[in-house]
Amino acid sequence: MGKLPSTLLRRPSLAGYLPSTTPALPHTPTAAGIRLPTSQTSTTTSAAGQVRHATFVPRSRRPYQFTQLVQLSDGSTFTVRTTSPLALYKSAKDSRNHILWQPTEKSLRNVEVDEAGKLAAFRERYGSSWDLDGPAAPAAAAAGAAAPAAAAPVAADGSKESGEKGAAAVGKKGAEEKGDKKKVDAKDAKPAAAAQAPAEAAAPAEDPFDSLVDLISTYATEDKNIKGGLSAKDQARKEKKKK
Amino acid sequence: MMSAPGRGSALLRGSYRVCTQCARPAPRPRIATTTRTTPRASAVLPLASRRYYSAEPATAQQTPTTPESTPTPPTTTTITPSTDPNPETALYLIKSSLILTRPPLLTREQTPFESAFYFYQKRLNERLTAPFRRQFYFKQDTAADLDFRIKLAERHGVPAKDIGRYNPRGRMAWNDELLTGSTTSDPAELVNKLLADAEVRVSEDGEPIAPEERVPVERPAPRRSEADEKGDVRRLDRAMERTLYLVVRREWEEVVEGVKKKEAVWEFPTGLVQTQETLHEAAARVITESAGVNMNTWVVGRVPVAHHVVKPVVDEAGGTTVVDRGTKTFFLKGRIMTGQADLAGNKHGLTDFKWLTREELQEVLPEEYYRSVRGMMDLR
Repeated sequence: MGKLPSTLLRRPSLAGYLPSTTPALPHTPTAAGIRLPTSQTSTTTSAAGQVRHATFVPRSRRPYQFTQLVQLSDGSTFTVRTTSPLALYKSAKDSRNHILWQPTEKSLRNVEVDEAGKLAAFRERYGSSWDLDGPAAPAAAAAGAAAPAAAAPVAADGSKESGEKGAAAVGKKGAEEKGDKKKVDAKDAKPAAAAQAPAEAAAPAEDPFDSLVDLISTYATEDKNIKGGLSAKDQARKEKKKK
Repeated sequence: MMSAPGRGSALLRGSYRVCTQCARPAPRPRIATTTRTTPRASAVLPLASRRYYSAEPATAQQTPTTPESTPTPPTTTTITPSTDPNPETALYLIKSSLILTRPPLLTREQTPFESAFYFYQKRLNERLTAPFRRQFYFKQDTAADLDFRIKLAERHGVPAKDIGRYNPRGRMAWNDELLTGSTTSDPAELVNKLLADAEVRVSEDGEPIAPEERVPVERPAPRRSEADEKGDVRRLDRAMERTLYLVVRREWEEVVEGVKKKEAVWEFPTGLVQTQETLHEAAARVITESAGVNMNTWVVGRVPVAHHVVKPVVDEAGGTTVVDRGTKTFFLKGRIMTGQADLAGNKHGLTDFKWLTREELQEVLPEEYYRSVRGMMDLR
């Protein structure tokens, strides 16, 4: 690059403010002997002697601007002045298709892209938050029963035994079962002998869960709207069936 | 996020169409004659069932529904000044009416002077700005660069697309005025030029595309919609650069000398103000009762923007017996944001509705009535 453009605005020269040309006021001491170009000083200097302060102020350099047609996402258009040489600008995201400005537009609500089905698989395996307070009581209770890993074999033993013995408890309501099972959780830490009695009384007749993995996998309710491919578990099941 | 009481939050709360400050904290007892007995008028629909406006009316209102109750039956009451502390109140019925408006969707057209002024400013700006540097925006010999150069050559070297053939640094730079009858400053012509310029002229390989193989840019929708062309006054996407007002046609039967006679009038949705109700609450209730709940409306303020008085008819003999009570109608301003009017099952004997501009209102409304509300309208 060469020199700067000559049209750039110059700094105002300090030559006119030297103390030799202007009478210094006694009550305004300045550090370097140079007085600041305030309005007060300029009036005093003009009174003392004619000094030209008017400098050439060139027009500021502005970039070249085009007229551009902007098309919003709903098809409406308007023109703007811009430095872009494109004649037409099509906006992809603006207030016409944004949820903040279009709160009633339902199609803008969920923008989850899940082509590989990974999110769906995760949700199938671990569930989503609102499944917890839903009516999926037995699964949740069962999962809770298996939660402490150390007590898991104990609980499995207890439920198996109860499956053999406790046929009388089948007619009980689901809610009671749930509550009683939670009691079992609390007592699982104690020796198994102590936990036997309530487990016999309360546990359901059949226990569909064989292992810890199955318990966790049934934690979520089934979601029919899953996009994408199979989850890893389903894939494994399919392969088993093929064999 | 925003915690301001915007329209979205009001919707989510499922509240009535007044703001929380306007709404009264205590539940109001409603009088049985005009309570919301039908379920469709009882509450605002949930969020999911709302539609956007510019939709056509849900069902055509060709079949006039029989009015369930005549709003203002001619009553005969005798003024008894001794018992009534304020006899003036008995003379008038107080009504509240909502002037529901749709704001303009488009910026208005430029006047010839405006477009000429903007054009002059553009050519003046051409003389004052730095020149356009093509190399700054386009890499040399890329497809975009070739494309721009082709179009630049067609414009005789003028980088701007909308100022015509004008060289600000040449010998004829002073000659910046248009000849009479030139369309260069016309905004529609400007859009045409920009759309023509947006067309791709060079393929990705840098080969010029033949004229028959070029893909023209899709034109934006015209300013006049289909409803404008067809003259459909019920759609909301008509007259898009004007404010539209909702008027409804009220029909009632009148017995004149033993003969039943059908009368009809065009007016804004109007209803009686109940004892425990303020004007804006009544207006919000009336618009729900008459035009359905399938609208996202907003009552602008609590102060009426206009009023209309019909004098009571007093018996000539002595002037003590009121033959017909007068009405004082207060108009509030409302805005529609989404939805469409639906007169099915309304309680006010309404048979038809229209979305009209101010000039069209003048033809439809009674003259006195129009003169009362004229002051709140756009005077452009």
